[in-house]
Amino acid sequence: MADGIISPKERLKRKLNGQTADRPPVICPGGMMNAAVVEIMTATGHTLPEAHHSRELMTELAADVSRLTGFENFGIPFCMTVEAEVLGSEINYGALDCEPKIQKERFSSAAAAVFPDRQAFDRNRRVRAVTDSIYALTQKYPDTPVVGSLTGPISTAASVIDPMTFLKQLRKDKDNSHRVIDYVTDCLIHYAAMMVEAGADVISVADPTATGEILGPKMFDEYALRYLNKLAGAVRAMGAPVIVHICGKMEAVKPSVARLKANALSVDAFVSLKEIKGLYPHINTMGNLSTIMLEFGNSDKVARGTQALLRNRIDIIAPACGLSTSTPLANIRAFTETVKN
Amino acid sequence: MTVLKEELYQKMSAAIVEMEEDLVAELSRQAVREGIDAFEAIDQGLTPGMERAGQLFEEEEYFVPELLMCADAMNAGIDILKPHIKADEAKVKRKAVIGVIEGDTHDIGKNLVKLMLETGGFDVIDVGRDIPAAEFVERAKSEGAELICVSTLMTTTMDAMAYVISILKEQGIRDRFKVIVGGGPISPGFAAKIGADGYSRNAAEAVRLAHKLFEGKDL
Repeated sequence: MADGIISPKERLKRKLNGQTADRPPVICPGGMMNAAVVEIMTATGHTLPEAHHSRELMTELAADVSRLTGFENFGIPFCMTVEAEVLGSEINYGALDCEPKIQKERFSSAAAAVFPDRQAFDRNRRVRAVTDSIYALTQKYPDTPVVGSLTGPISTAASVIDPMTFLKQLRKDKDNSHRVIDYVTDCLIHYAAMMVEAGADVISVADPTATGEILGPKMFDEYALRYLNKLAGAVRAMGAPVIVHICGKMEAVKPSVARLKANALSVDAFVSLKEIKGLYPHINTMGNLSTIMLEFGNSDKVARGTQALLRNRIDIIAPACGLSTSTPLANIRAFTETVKN
Repeated sequence: MTVLKEELYQKMSAAIVEMEEDLVAELSRQAVREGIDAFEAIDQGLTPGMERAGQLFEEEEYFVPELLMCADAMNAGIDILKPHIKADEAKVKRKAVIGVIEGDTHDIGKNLVKLMLETGGFDVIDVGRDIPAAEFVERAKSEGAELICVSTLMTTTMDAMAYVISILKEQGIRDRFKVIVGGGPISPGFAAKIGADGYSRNAAEAVRLAHKLFEGKDL
């Protein structure tokens, strides 16, 4: 099958459902892992941080990124702070070259956390910018999949509660920890439903605080796996496939990760996807070209790294982590073109 | 007395490893009541417990929540013992400045390194998170620190780490400081490329690296 017979949307959906396709798609899901690099924004004038707030700019920038990089999807939003903002944390929106961040978490401890009702998401302007932009992209580009990006339950909870206290309370105050994370998960399900309603084809969840390295296997099972599966299960019941990205080394949590109910598992650069495929053939693998290589390497190195992923029959080709905003566009193009040719 | 003292130190150490904050506090109060030297109780009771916790962390027996709880237990003991340290015993420590570079507010890793450096005998000044390169340099100068530790979790902010070193060079004071870097996206190769004195993968390794960098150097 040549390109063009199958649309990028169809290709990604087939791969997420474990079906065959002419070749793997090459995507960048947005959120933590977005490709709005400075080179693109200065060329088009559609810039961050403004585009975090405006549906028109967000739509334009998402389209610029896909067109100029060659990634076969749209991925929005361009940050991981929307959820925490709705839940009351103070956000610093960053700059052209620096992504938004949590300036101050809303609560000092899990026990102190009181949350707004879930409808707070419906009222938030940035949530509306994201969902309106999803809708606009699906209307304008029917063949390109729109990926709605979410911050995972543990990372969102650790963005709303002081993270050092939060991590200790996972052990010391299990009742309140579960109460908070369960509530946060319900909020994320609600937000995901808004994205799916707006037309998102896929929901991607990145949960960088929920790593085996930080939590260890017991806490990973008790909190990360449980609530990621609650979220993924609910989103899949809405009819949208789910990608889950797990950061960091996975030695400590490999068996747990095999029980994730996602359509695809995306991992960091130093995890061997070939090994994951060998151990757990039921998992659709996604990843994992080093973002260090994308930033500091050259086109040749990037092409060789990409060919290795293709040889290992990775299901969906993507960057391994968040891209630096100073990543050269030429390297990203070498990445996507190697997959397409 | 000596035997009893050592037994008490072992109990303090074990209570830290077991994350028993209240027990560490109780044992520390007991040490004070019995007139045991407070400096020695910290040095031989609390510190070995935290070092053991660091070791368990490195062996992936303990993870971040456990290590933080051990630290809370240790600090409960230090809070009680510290006011009883005799003035002439307070050792002069080598100073280190630590922080997360501008653009990044993730500070779990930085806090762990700070904790283990303190356990390892450094006087650590925490400049916080999202800190410009120039501020690392200014604080290191004003505090008389010899070690600068720069952390990041974001590839976006890696360039800013290199500025710390270029500012030191511009001011002609590069050789007055050792600079170590760490964090998710950082590799030994990157550390070498920007001219840092070292890179460490985790908090326990950072302490070993820091000790190595100052080996044989007088305070």
